[in-house]
Amino acid sequence: MKEIIAIIRPKKVTRTKEVLDSLGFPAMNAIRVMGRGKQRAILDEVNFEIDDPGLLEIEGAMRYIPKRMVSLVVPDTEVALVVEAIMKVNHTGQIGDGKVFVSPIEEAFRVRTMEKGDEAIT
Amino acid sequence: MKMIRAIVRPEMVEKVVDALDESGFVAMTKMEVIGRGKQKGIQLENIYYDEIPKTMLLLVAEDNQTDKIVEIISDSSFTGNFGDGKIFVSPVDEAYTVRTRSSSL
Repeated sequence: MKEIIAIIRPKKVTRTKEVLDSLGFPAMNAIRVMGRGKQRAILDEVNFEIDDPGLLEIEGAMRYIPKRMVSLVVPDTEVALVVEAIMKVNHTGQIGDGKVFVSPIEEAFRVRTMEKGDEAIT
Repeated sequence: MKMIRAIVRPEMVEKVVDALDESGFVAMTKMEVIGRGKQKGIQLENIYYDEIPKTMLLLVAEDNQTDKIVEIISDSSFTGNFGDGKIFVSPVDEAYTVRTRSSSL
């Protein structure tokens, strides 16, 4: 099993959910987070009007950018499919598209039925 | 690659972030969390706080930078009292940048 943690734009969450749902991965966690990348949260990345054009010049003028962190646990064989789907939906070519991390999960349990391993997540 | 999750005091976060920034670790994600540690929350006179608000910082770094990041975080968030927080390091197999579709940090 692998956990896929994707940090994406908030407005792409609905589309991501739809696509993952249609691929057969309806289960996921989503949490509102604040973050920044290599570019230190540039103002260009947000979609509201900035009054002061001088601010746009400064690197790191905004400390954090609101993002959504989506995490889901999938069997090893499905990792490539899910990562590809997330990347395809969230790709805009602009800075701030986000990151996708894949990390190993040793064991998973479904509380209701006490199932273990891959059965618990499918 | 390793994922570093640091649960620190909310008031120390900006200090930690600035310290990481100075050493060149700019990219990170933060989120508000609620938790408790070994001391089962905190008792202040008559009131018992079971769940204490904390901030979780999440960053992913190359293996050889992990020690340095852990050191920076623990130095900058240290007060010496209960509730300074915890740092967890876990493996990350792959990392992708969505914009460039490349498999790197």
